[in-house]
Amino acid sequence: MSEERIHDLVIVGAGPAALTAAIYTTREDIDTVIYEKGVVGGLAAVTDIIDNYPGFSEGVRGLELADSLRKQAERFGAVINLGEVLAIKNQGKHKLLDTTDGDILAKTILIATGCDYKKTGVPGESEFYALGVHYCATCDGAFYRDKKLVVIGGGNSAVQESIFLTRFATHIDLLVRSTIKASDILQRELQSYIDSGKITVHLGVSPKEIVGDEQGVNKVVATNDQGEEVIFNTDGVFVFIGLKPNTSFLQSSLVSLDKFGFINTDANLETNIKGVFAAGDVRSGATMQIASASGEGATAALKIREYLEGRLHNPKIAELEVIP
Amino acid sequence: MVKNITIFTTNTCAYCQMVKKYLTAKNMGYEEVNLDDNPHRRAEAHALSGAMTVPVTVVTKTDDSKEVIVGYNLAKLAPAVN
Repeated sequence: MSEERIHDLVIVGAGPAALTAAIYTTREDIDTVIYEKGVVGGLAAVTDIIDNYPGFSEGVRGLELADSLRKQAERFGAVINLGEVLAIKNQGKHKLLDTTDGDILAKTILIATGCDYKKTGVPGESEFYALGVHYCATCDGAFYRDKKLVVIGGGNSAVQESIFLTRFATHIDLLVRSTIKASDILQRELQSYIDSGKITVHLGVSPKEIVGDEQGVNKVVATNDQGEEVIFNTDGVFVFIGLKPNTSFLQSSLVSLDKFGFINTDANLETNIKGVFAAGDVRSGATMQIASASGEGATAALKIREYLEGRLHNPKIAELEVIP
Repeated sequence: MVKNITIFTTNTCAYCQMVKKYLTAKNMGYEEVNLDDNPHRRAEAHALSGAMTVPVTVVTKTDDSKEVIVGYNLAKLAPAVN
């Protein structure tokens, strides 16, 4: 055991749900430690512009929002460890977390690990990863100045990142398996790029193979909805086809997951294990919105406080609280 | 032993911030090459890493051997600088 201390709360993940929860708990002097194996801010931090987070009339850069949330949580005393939680184990009253810094103990855990971008699984995708196949436009877009790109996907991320990539690329072919699912406002913005010839949308087109050589990617082979093969010559491919939950570390934990791997919770955002909560995109039923994730983080924090005070599972107190 | 560290970054790269944050937390100095400000050095980053991505962290040891870490990868970065 690296330390004997038992933390009130360990939060796994440091995206908007996690950082909002930490703001609430640390303001109430609940000893809170955060573990983050990736980017503080989560997927929000790698998003170019966030246009629908309340309070920012002109939108806010994802990186800026993430940094602001981090500073706010740290101002109240949250400790962010850059490390990974490998597994969690319920020991009844306490929970054991196996981390890259050693084992730590907590009275409660909040899982807010969010999601990661899905892979297409087509041949060439893993072979050309970072050699022409990418999942982060804000990181890797600059390598495609004055080049042609293919973007795969039809949701909010695919459309928004395509628009971001137009600041570098000369032209973008957006390959959409069925129809565009992005929000109306993003679709209207997309239309202006279609009209200017910067983006061409191909509906009913599914990638079959990403092809390249030692120089990197040079084409995407796809099929259209008539089953015909279509070739898109390109210098690179960005993939945004949806999200998968970051829950692989829970495999041995007995935390209940739905059939897609998202965490099941009750109305208190508590999992099937008492004292283990979940919030944000990793939760089954999540709306995948940053504002929702922040709201869930706040809710989880308040429920965790009730749990630590012995009120959450005390039916007599719960009954008193609902009397007007 | 580490002699010096160079990080290739871009302005919008969140993973680049994480590498810088990690090294700062470890009290380790580094030189930052921002590829948005120095686009002529993109080829250098590509040649060192073999990849078209940032961050690229080049850890030069006192014997002048180099270790190149692509992306924000704590499992590789931590042992390279410790």
